[in-house]
Amino acid sequence: MVLPAAVFTAALFLLPVGILLSEGFKVGGEWTLAGYADFFSKPLNRTVFFRTLKLGLLVALVSAIVGYASAFCIVNLEPKQRGRIFGLVILPLMISPVARTYAWIVILGRTGIVNDAIVGLGLSDTPIRFLFTETAVFLGLLQLFMPLMIISLISSMENLPKDVIPAARVLGASWLQVFTRVILPLTREGLVLGGTLVFTGALTAYITPAILGGSKVLMLETLLYQKVNVSNDFVSAGIIATILIVMCFGANVVLRRIAKA
Amino acid sequence: MGKTWASRLIIFTTLLFLIGPFFIIIFAGLSAGSSLSFPPQGLSLKWYLAVFEVESFRQSFTLSMFLAVCGTLCALIIGVPAAYAICRYKIPGAETIKLIVAAPIIVPGIIVGLALLRYLVVPLNFTVTLALFLAHTALVLPYAVRVVSASLENLRTDIEEAAVLLGCTRLQAFSKVVLPNIRSGILAAFILGFVTSFNQVPVSLFLSGPGVRTLPIDMLDYMEITYDPSVAALSALLAFLSMGIVFIAEKTLGFSRYV
Amino acid sequence: MSDTAVSLQNLTLAYGETVAVPSLNLDIHKGELVALLGPSGCGKTTTMRAIAGLMTPRSGTIMIDGVDVTKVSANKRGVGLVFQSYALFPHLSGFENVAFGLRLKRTPAAVITQKVEAGLELVGLSHLAERMPAELSGGQQQRLSLARSLVMEPKVLLLDEPLSNLDARLRLEMRTELQTLQRQTGITMVFVTHDQAEALALADRIVLMKDGVIEQTGTPEDLYNRPNTVFAADFVGFENIFKVSGNTASNSMVIASDTGELNLNYRSDASHLAWRPEGVIIGSGPHAGVVAGVAFAGNKREYVITTDAGKIRADVDASESAVQIGETVSFELPESSARPLREAL
Ligand SMILES: Nc1ncnc2c1ncn2[C@@H]1O[C@H](COP(=O)(O)OP(=O)(O)OP(=O)(O)O)[C@@H](O)[C@H]1O
Ligand SMILES: [Mg+2]
Repeated sequence: MVLPAAVFTAALFLLPVGILLSEGFKVGGEWTLAGYADFFSKPLNRTVFFRTLKLGLLVALVSAIVGYASAFCIVNLEPKQRGRIFGLVILPLMISPVARTYAWIVILGRTGIVNDAIVGLGLSDTPIRFLFTETAVFLGLLQLFMPLMIISLISSMENLPKDVIPAARVLGASWLQVFTRVILPLTREGLVLGGTLVFTGALTAYITPAILGGSKVLMLETLLYQKVNVSNDFVSAGIIATILIVMCFGANVVLRRIAKA
Repeated sequence: MGKTWASRLIIFTTLLFLIGPFFIIIFAGLSAGSSLSFPPQGLSLKWYLAVFEVESFRQSFTLSMFLAVCGTLCALIIGVPAAYAICRYKIPGAETIKLIVAAPIIVPGIIVGLALLRYLVVPLNFTVTLALFLAHTALVLPYAVRVVSASLENLRTDIEEAAVLLGCTRLQAFSKVVLPNIRSGILAAFILGFVTSFNQVPVSLFLSGPGVRTLPIDMLDYMEITYDPSVAALSALLAFLSMGIVFIAEKTLGFSRYV
Repeated sequence: MSDTAVSLQNLTLAYGETVAVPSLNLDIHKGELVALLGPSGCGKTTTMRAIAGLMTPRSGTIMIDGVDVTKVSANKRGVGLVFQSYALFPHLSGFENVAFGLRLKRTPAAVITQKVEAGLELVGLSHLAERMPAELSGGQQQRLSLARSLVMEPKVLLLDEPLSNLDARLRLEMRTELQTLQRQTGITMVFVTHDQAEALALADRIVLMKDGVIEQTGTPEDLYNRPNTVFAADFVGFENIFKVSGNTASNSMVIASDTGELNLNYRSDASHLAWRPEGVIIGSGPHAGVVAGVAFAGNKREYVITTDAGKIRADVDASESAVQIGETVSFELPESSARPLREAL
């Protein structure tokens, strides 16, 4: 009974992807790592690689900080309200990322709200360029993926044993100590799960860097697209694909192990 | 109570960041002017109506609908038996199979799209539509398996045995007892799959041909050419569509437990 | 042969490598109410599942009404099983739950209605027929599950710990109801329990199991008064069990526990002797001990006495005055109430 599903995925999915990945190891028909050396010797590729990594980590970190604060507040609401707010948090996940990202153009564009305000308040004579900066990509990614972090933190906080926080308070813990000694260790799994989702999501997002970063702020996905569509460079495409998959799987495996340890 | 105030403020700010942009989109689409701006230059519904006049939007909407509905159905047809077998029988290598089936979630979509284009469409002469269909099915399959598994886990196994003792064959027990009881899980899987497929971009990025483009890709292309508020209007309409579906699903199924 | 409803012959049941029941032999007569009694994990559920056909035996034969059904699949065996968890179909109403099996048999609608109504009537649920299982109390669910099996007119009805999910009062109520029902319908029933009081109260015959092996079978009176082994005695409430360590003179012997010995002035050939708490005499006798505990239990006082051979439990009529903790009392383990036992089978 599982066979159709497994065969389907393996044949239509793993096989083609596997071949694609193998292309990165072949230059001129020979198996070699030369493609990788070549890839990383180009400054642009290195910049894009480190930018992707940096944005991924940054988005995960900021989501975690904001996520803890809001998840904690949401969990402490009364059940009915909590359900409603929870619905609002997952709502964005159901909406097209194109629509979600598009909004930032309206906000950050030359004639967007932020620039209108800046010019209007006389802070600057000319509009400031926000679009096609790392900041814009960062904001877009954060908005896109933060719900995943909040959701997993909420569900692990809901599983906190009742009254542990008051118990810690009574035992003399400050709020900071309550967080580091009680909440953090007990919600570690949720944090790791959310972190994995956000990090891999940010690494592999295409629309946000494409719309908000353009060719000025390339990330690995947009670079891959360029390599294929502009320069027909399938060796680089295979390499980028491998890097992405290794980072995603790595994040999944490593973080999950940390969560269980 | 200062504390509740602080907590309200935190929640409000977070939600503003997460959801606020939609309101902006909605209003930007209501603009009477011809370029994108906020606050809009006068109010009118013209861009909302204009969306329906764009031929390529209509085509790509139809394609996206087809992919989302048929792809998800197909994923359920192979996914439900798989979920059942994984939950009920100790099959050897179950973990490996689970990993294989889950792979499409982990592997970035753009890579899948490219791989399918290069190794199915080009050499084997698959049509782009077929490749899209297969890709979307594979993409939705893990969600289908996961959500249906979750509702199977919650279903006692002994009711199937009870059905067998009352005279059912195994197959009858499945259709008469298991299926009716995981109906809401299947429906939730359908909705989740539908939304995932409909909004999917990276997989479809490379899988487009003349007249064959999914709606989100079409919107991206359109944005590159024109800067008018029609994309905002369309985005808003799609957002309403998703919200409507999810709202109904939440009311009837308690959808959020399956996400 | 014809009055045997179920016959298990050399039945061996295993889960993979683990043998849960090695070579079981048991005959159950028509119209009998049999209790399968034993501690947790002794193979009661496993045996039931094998009779019902939910599990394939490794070897051996299962006969129902004189026909070998070992290879007959569960849906054709005509055996009813009431699950410990009731296993009601959550998506069907009470009526439809009961009608489920009849519908599969393509019974005419009128007959279904009539049978289901009769079945619900029998268990006293007629007024709740349209409720969904989730809207019924534990006892009502239990009765619905019973009705669902009964309308199929099974050759034998198996019940796996039917009362264990109920609270104490309801359990007593259902005990009587189950017994009445069995008398009314005359159906052969086997029920599993690990509660000896329940087995004693309900059953025509008790089958006591241990580690997949039948330790003893017999009527409740038999088992209660005349257990044959240490295990059986312990299970039916012989709280004082001693090993006979040796016969000394012509008419006396020594009994021993791990901690010490007592000399008795009679002899026995058994390997063990056992006394119920009410069989021990306190206030007179050849031995002395110190009262370590006393509890008032309505019509009796329950003593724990520390003796040379360890702790002894004794029950004394509450009308007699209490002995305080720490006081020394004399006691006797009389020959008349001693039950001779074997170590094991
Ligand atoms: N699915 C299984 N796989 C492996 N071993 C099992 C399985 N089910 C039961 N066993 C083992 O078989 C033995 C008998 O189990 P069974 O469930 O028949 O006990 P039981 O008498 O019904 O106990 P209880 O009173 O706790 O219900 C036990 O040792 C148990 O560990
Ligand atoms: Mg059992």
